[in-house]
Parts: sequence; structure tokens; C-alpha cells
Amino acid sequence: MVNLIIKDVLIQKKIILLYIPIIIILLLGSMSSPLYFGFVFSISFIITSFSYDEKDNANILFNSLPYTRKEIVSSKYIGSLVFTLAFIFIIYSSNFLLNGKGMMFLWKEILLIIGLVMVAISFMFPIYYKFKMKNLPIIASALVGILLLITTFFIPNLFGEIRELTLKFLTLQETQMYFVTILTIIILYIGSWLLSIRIYTRKAF
Amino acid sequence: MENVIELQHVHKSFKGFQIKDFSINVKKGFVTGFIGGNGAGKSTTIKLIMNLLQQDSGTVSVFGLDYKKHEKEIKERIGFVYDENVFYEYVTLKDMKRIIKPAYKNWDDDAFQRYVTQFELPLNKNMKTFSKGMKMKASLAIALAHHAELIIMDEPTAGLDPIFRRELLNILHELMQDEDKTIFFSTHITTDLDRIADYITFVHNGEHIFTKEFYKIEEEYAIVKGTLNLLDQETEREFVAIRKTNTGFEALTADKNRVANIFGDSVIVEKPTLEDIMYYTKKGW
Repeated sequence: MVNLIIKDVLIQKKIILLYIPIIIILLLGSMSSPLYFGFVFSISFIITSFSYDEKDNANILFNSLPYTRKEIVSSKYIGSLVFTLAFIFIIYSSNFLLNGKGMMFLWKEILLIIGLVMVAISFMFPIYYKFKMKNLPIIASALVGILLLITTFFIPNLFGEIRELTLKFLTLQETQMYFVTILTIIILYIGSWLLSIRIYTRKAF
Repeated sequence: MENVIELQHVHKSFKGFQIKDFSINVKKGFVTGFIGGNGAGKSTTIKLIMNLLQQDSGTVSVFGLDYKKHEKEIKERIGFVYDENVFYEYVTLKDMKRIIKPAYKNWDDDAFQRYVTQFELPLNKNMKTFSKGMKMKASLAIALAHHAELIIMDEPTAGLDPIFRRELLNILHELMQDEDKTIFFSTHITTDLDRIADYITFVHNGEHIFTKEFYKIEEEYAIVKGTLNLLDQETEREFVAIRKTNTGFEALTADKNRVANIFGDSVIVEKPTLEDIMYYTKKGW
């Protein structure tokens, strides 16, 4: 199963090289928290590998190799967490090196990114497994990218409302509240995981 | 004789197409050519054998094992070559190998390298630049590098030039020197089979028409040519299908000896090609 996660990196080898300068430019050019990049980059990385799999009939390939369908789906759910953590690590360590930003609220931001990615994936994966969405992921991630650029360089206040909400979350003091949120997200993620396995095992290629 | 693949009473229906009560066996140690027209159910059958599709009812077993419990064991031992591209376009063959290799327990890097050299495949070019023939060879190199006992190919020769096709057949021929290997391949270029197939499995309209040893087909089937006055309601029944022209008729029989008894010397009896058999079977349906 680890092989399938490594595969997602291998097929995006060249794109990964592009991610790094973009991260650096964004970190240098914007005053906002790297939280959003963490979310956007993780999602776009995960969705890109998904769309490559679909475009190049990789599902036929991997289903003909000695893997079970359960493993193929699970590798996506586990891989998504691994990639998100990797992006968080890269972004926050570059931010620290480039801007020397302090580590205030760091663990809360990290939790928030992971939580957001998990929620987004919980909804996206079952839909992608169920339907053919040839170009949709690419278009969606392109749109998100454009939006990100606009908000970073031109209209930084577009995300004002969301930012306020985020701040609220980040300054929350009640541990109980955190606990409930985390638990809900985990249950959602596992539910989505099981649903995707169910959809994928019944799929015809 | 041992069967490598057994399909028993398999039903599978889609919108507008179904295979019904479909049973075939593929014998171990032989090359079985799988023929039938477009839409006859060849690809569906291959997908059922590869567990890319699941049957509505009936059983599919490969190496005597069931996919429900032994999916990985079965696929460890199968090599596959598909008609459609299954490689990532913007990945090199070298990286494709890196992706596929860890899936197999008995991957043999030396063998892979040997076939890549023999097939003159570039390791550092994107799969996108590969021609159809090169992709087919790449699939074959992968299939051979994990020492697959059963090689399943869906239209491997379609869209290849004659030189390429002959090369492929030579490779397969060499491979069959090993008695434990089995090859099952679908094609509608039936002349490919003359050179290599031991058995022919013929499907039409989602139904299994026959599986026979190649030489027996020539013994049983025949093309019969004669004048129109030989035909009446009774004699027409002897044929799978008949093609009438102004000058006479040409027909396919599935029982050469019987026809020879009935018509004697009044007709010409010729060896049928697989194409004749496919053509008349479709016509007579």
C-alpha cells in the first residue's frame, strides 16, 4: 500500500518542483498566514494525482496488479494525510526560514489545515469515485489557484470573513469544543473512507 | 488436462448488451486464441477474467482460485497486455517500472532489463512518446519480468504493422517453450492465430460458440461451393449459413463429412479460414 502512496509522488515529480518556488513567492509576497496555502496546496496535490489516475486509465492498471480495491482506496485516504502533513512541514519550515515568523498558534493552525483537508476530501472522494469527472478536478484546482493569487496580491480582504471565522477558531480556549470538532471530523473521514471502498469495489472498469 | 481459467454459467448484463450462461475453459500450457467480431463480448470476458468487472451470477476461477478470497495470489501470476493505454503519459518507463515493480513479489529486474533491451524501449522518455507497438512491448516486458504463468492479452496486435505483429508472435512462440505458461489472447486479425494458437475459442453475441483445437476446426468445418440447383429446404439445413450469388452458392458447414456424403462430387469442398467461420456464423445467427 505504501507503494501506491509513493506512486502519487512519482507521477507528480515534475510538478512538485514547481510547488516549491510558488510557495516561496507566496510566503515572501503576502502578509497573511500560510494556513491557506497549506490547505490549497494539499488539496490540489491530492486532486491532481486523482485526475492523472483517471485520465491515464491507471485504475485499470492498478486493478490488474496484485492489489485489492480496498488497498487502492485506502492508499488515497492515508496518502492524503501524509501529503498534507508534508506540505505543512514544508510551508511552515520555509516560512520560519524566510520570514522568521514565530510559532504562535502553530499547532492550532496545523490542526485547522488538517481538519479542512479532511472535510474537503470526505466530500470529494466518494463523488470522484462514483462519477467520471475528467476535467473537473483540474479546472477546480486552477480556479482555486487563481482565487488564491487574487486574494494574495490584489484583494486581500476577500477572505476577510473566513479569516475572522478562522481567528475565532484559533483563539478558542475550550478544549471540549476542540475535542468535539476533531472527533466529528474523524468520524466523517472514516465514514467517507468506508463509503468510497463500497463504491469502488462495485465499480466496473 | 488442467484448466487455468474456468468461467461457469456466467451472466453479466449491461445496458444494451449481455453475456448469458457463458462457460469457457482455458487449458494450461497452450495458446488459446479468442475470436469474435466487434461487440461479441471479448473485452467483457477478459475484464471478467481480470476481475475488472464482476459477474452478476456464475463463477470465475483462475488457477482454480476464486477472486473473492485469492485476488492477490491470482494477480501475482497473471501478466496482462491491454488494447488501451494504461500508462501515465507524463511518466517515463523507468518510473513506470518503479511504480509497478513493488506490486509483485517475484519481480526480476534483470529479466525486465533484458526485454527492454531486446524490444529497444527507451527508459527515459515519457510514455506519451511511445507508439502503440512500443506500449504493447512495454506491457509485455512488465508481464514477462514478473514471470507470469498466465498471459492475458486483449487485441495485442490491433493497430500494429505486420513486422511488429510477427515479432510479437515470435516472442510468444519462444515463451511457449516453457510448458507451464499459458497464453490467452483476443484478436480479430485471425491470421495471427494460424502461426501460434493451439486452441480457438469463438464467441458471438455474448455467447460461447465453441472452443476447439485448431486442427480440428479444419477437420470439421468446410466451405462448400456449388450450383444453386443443389439447394432446397432440406439441404440448406446442413449449413451454418449460405451466401448465394447468380452463379452459385458458397456456404459453411460444421460437419464436413456429412456434407461430403450428401453432395458427393457435385460440390467443391474447401478448407475454411477462421474469418470464413466468423463471417458465416454471424450471417447465420
